[in-house]
Amino acid sequence: MAESAARLLDPRAIRLDARAADRDDAIRQCGRVLAEAGAVTAAYTESMLEREQSVSTHLGEGVAIPHGTAGGKDAVLRDALAVLRFPGGVDWNGHPVTLCIAIAARGDGHMAILAELAEVLLDPGRARRLREAGTAADVIRQLQPTEEEPTR
Amino acid sequence: MSERIVTVGSAQGLHARTAKIFAEAAAGRPVRVTVACGAKGPVPAASLLGLLTLGAVHGAEVTLRADGEGADAVLDELSALLARDLDAEDAGAGDAGTAGDAGRG
Repeated sequence: MAESAARLLDPRAIRLDARAADRDDAIRQCGRVLAEAGAVTAAYTESMLEREQSVSTHLGEGVAIPHGTAGGKDAVLRDALAVLRFPGGVDWNGHPVTLCIAIAARGDGHMAILAELAEVLLDPGRARRLREAGTAADVIRQLQPTEEEPTR
Repeated sequence: MSERIVTVGSAQGLHARTAKIFAEAAAGRPVRVTVACGAKGPVPAASLLGLLTLGAVHGAEVTLRADGEGADAVLDELSALLARDLDAEDAGAGDAGTAGDAGRG
């Protein structure tokens, strides 16, 4: 069973007040946070930059999901997410991005995470709450499949 | 209403990259195409986020539907695109499937 996005997100891998000079700087910061969380080796950053050059990971709703190429999976130590918010915005090939959700995944786990994230972003209210989340716990809460019944 | 059932050809499924190529191909069409996968969908084929909610992995069967003039030609083209291994056309994806089998379960 694939783990849910919220379970893969360590509160220490959340940065709510990041600043980046440009897209590639934002991606490098994502790689650093994933590496600090022990999820990837330093080589993963290059893989994420390579993926981005191939096809943008901008999803819409001010959100991008940097992740590595298939060839970069060897750099993944465990499946994990990192969330970096850039209140000043980052120019992502002409699209403004304020939230990066970096994904490290070895297998199909990343498909389930993407599906879950896409559901959140397709709901304008949930997408806005995710972008405007004030604390790490709040970010994790917004990524839970249901908010009504807090299960722990 | 025309319909095609297609098996997803990309090694990594209908994920961000493949989904983006597919959505862009579907966007400039005169007919509106929808995609469904099992109980998920249908979603607009031109919606990247919609496609991602399907969680369609490699080998998954998806159903494409469209209505109106030219629907069959559009569906034929999009089906062919979806059946291709778009990941194999990505320079960085050469060894997909060989990595990571020894990981913890």
